[in-house]
Amino acid sequence: MAATKIIPVLARAIRGSAIYFRLVLLALILPLSAQAATEVDTLRTEVEQLKLRLDSLEGSLEDEVQAKESASESQDRPQTPAITIGGALRYTYAWRNFEPNSDAKLGDVGLDLFRLNVDGQRDNFLVSAEYRFYPYMSTLHHGWFGYETDSGAQWQAGVSQVPFGLLPYASHNFWFGVPFYLGLADDYDSGIKFIDKGEAWDLQLAFYKNGELGNAASSNRYSYDPIIVSADNTAQNEEVNTFNARLAYTFGAGRECNHELGLSAQAGQLYNRQTQRHGSQWASALHLDSRCGRWNIQFEAGRYGYQPRNASGVSDNTVTLGAFAYPYAVASRGSFGVLNFAYNLPVAPDSVDLITCYNDFSVLGKDEASFNDSMVNTLGCAIGDGPLFTYIDLVAGHNMIFLGSGSLAGGGNNQWETRLNINVGYYW
Amino acid sequence: MRLGLLLAVVLCLPVAQAAEDLTLVSWGGAYTKSQILAFVRPYEQRTDTRMEVLDYNGGLTELRNQVRSLNFRWDVVDLEMSDALRACEEGLLEPIHKHALAPAPDGTATREDFLSGSLTPCAVGTVIWSTALAYDPARLKQTPTRLEDFFDLERFPGPRGMRRTPKANLEWALIADGVPNHKVYEVLATEAGLNRAFEVLTRIKPHIVWWDAGLEAPRLLDTRRVVMTTAYTGRIHDSNRVQGTDYQLLWDHQIWNIDLFGVPRGNPRAKQAWEFIRFATATERLAEQARHIPYGPVRRSSLSRLTPNEREHLPTREANFKNAMQIDAGWWAKHYDRIRPRFDDWLAQPVQVPRKLPR
Repeated sequence: MAATKIIPVLARAIRGSAIYFRLVLLALILPLSAQAATEVDTLRTEVEQLKLRLDSLEGSLEDEVQAKESASESQDRPQTPAITIGGALRYTYAWRNFEPNSDAKLGDVGLDLFRLNVDGQRDNFLVSAEYRFYPYMSTLHHGWFGYETDSGAQWQAGVSQVPFGLLPYASHNFWFGVPFYLGLADDYDSGIKFIDKGEAWDLQLAFYKNGELGNAASSNRYSYDPIIVSADNTAQNEEVNTFNARLAYTFGAGRECNHELGLSAQAGQLYNRQTQRHGSQWASALHLDSRCGRWNIQFEAGRYGYQPRNASGVSDNTVTLGAFAYPYAVASRGSFGVLNFAYNLPVAPDSVDLITCYNDFSVLGKDEASFNDSMVNTLGCAIGDGPLFTYIDLVAGHNMIFLGSGSLAGGGNNQWETRLNINVGYYW
Repeated sequence: MRLGLLLAVVLCLPVAQAAEDLTLVSWGGAYTKSQILAFVRPYEQRTDTRMEVLDYNGGLTELRNQVRSLNFRWDVVDLEMSDALRACEEGLLEPIHKHALAPAPDGTATREDFLSGSLTPCAVGTVIWSTALAYDPARLKQTPTRLEDFFDLERFPGPRGMRRTPKANLEWALIADGVPNHKVYEVLATEAGLNRAFEVLTRIKPHIVWWDAGLEAPRLLDTRRVVMTTAYTGRIHDSNRVQGTDYQLLWDHQIWNIDLFGVPRGNPRAKQAWEFIRFATATERLAEQARHIPYGPVRRSSLSRLTPNEREHLPTREANFKNAMQIDAGWWAKHYDRIRPRFDDWLAQPVQVPRKLPR
């Protein structure tokens, strides 16, 4: 009798549960026991325990649903790994009209580089690094860690690209242009950078303690900085404590034709290791980057100046820059200009991924009247298909470094020289 | 003492009889949540079956792998109609079991209760879902009123979000270019029509941010990466409901589709899988799902159980359904393998001069 009264209580307590079935079965068994009536108290205790267990099971079920929902939401996020590893293997063919052996052999083919990239993001924290192995040197291209705020602004600390002029490059071709060889394009230094990029406005501020290596005596670096050559009195300067600001506005952002107009400024110290005095260095530029359909026009005009505190008797008209294991002199003051045109050709669906043809022109006018101006023009195409990317560039330089005896300072043969450059790379 | 022994035996019995686990694979986010609340959890409670719910982004590659290797990790798959048709043709799905489905509560036969086209030889329809255009009114100077506005960068400047697939995007491109709904697949079937669709997409391609999983579409709006996006309508509704956003849907030329449940062919747990499908596609379960995500149930009896308020955000509501177009799953099942590689090639081919060529 007591057992039959307990059954509805049990049923109410555990309706909807899988345990309901078990207890109905239990209740049917109970009347069979002659001792049932005497064990009601014990049974009540058991029921209480069962109710507690049921509550616990219901709670677990809730947790399980929550866990499933959470798992579902998390899996619905883009499946990007925290760290991605990339790299490239590149070879270069070069024919130079100004080198008799190259001319006679119709050029040379050799390893350009092997590089490894690491990029990652975990929550708001970022990392990006690239290390390059060239046949004649190996060096860090860039390496920074960063933080992205919830509003999208970004901080980078480490070796990062200097925010100056046309970004990310002031050229389309493989061989770059005059600003790169002045250390005023695709330059990397050690410091901290802030980026706040909106739909139209792009503000970048940076402070760089020094060049990318922290060792101004080495030219085994990727980008050009003032460097020190121990046995050369004219090469005793290094850039330190440099501030950069770049502000750009894109007219027509989000439309088919848009035009980025920007101003850049750079100012810092130039420390002379021989005299242990600080000089100064500065640069400024105005740029326009227009994209309309398949066309791209880039323009940049700027000035720069180095005021070294050299030892007495050492000319202030030049400073020595270095990278790619090679130092050279540039004029201490000058104006530079860039005018690039590029067109992205439409390609058939089952052909290559990209053919971009371009003509990049850049010039350096040196303040020192006795120095000849330098200029370089590159006509070429970039062809991409899957992981393969090829640049075919016809580079013509007038008094341009690395082209014959051209120079970005004084001297030079002051004539046009030509180089055919084909760079084939596999990128992953 | 004897009673204690009996109690112990009884309590242990059902544990030994627990049903086998089942794995449901679905589309994630608010959609999967609606399924968990409407029929996964109730089914677990009713049958003591433990269900694993996984996410995927559609396609047949994984299903093919499992069926061909007889290595089944999925028991019930939530499929788009075109995938369901292709999978059936390829013999990847079990045929619908004769007695698989529950009749309507009033005894109406399942064939009459399910909307036309929602029952296929190998898969059972569950919901009518829709892809439409969503935007953040706070970021647009004027309100878009028609599909063409999505392709108009001059009047509505800013990045667009689109699902990384040719499906629906090519249809919309043609409609925006003046092709009427009923002619879309006829035009798209020709090489010239396909070129025309790609040309329209090419016009806005530099401004497209691609998304894959459904939850990414409202997130693109959240993070202000786009001003407009194509989106599963339920995800936008869910974002507004849960996060308090005020995103608007533009229903003009919404493209609707049917989701279906199928069972991988040869799966040793097929019987249990069909039992789950029978439960999940019952009238009240599908109505319950529509209460958690505004997708239209494919059963007439389920629809009749929803209040007018619950029907307001359904793609099938009359005001939302004007100009609606059903995706032609049969057409896509036939042409997808030809068009997808072309779409992938097109994706890899930039229109503008890239800002950053490899250096």
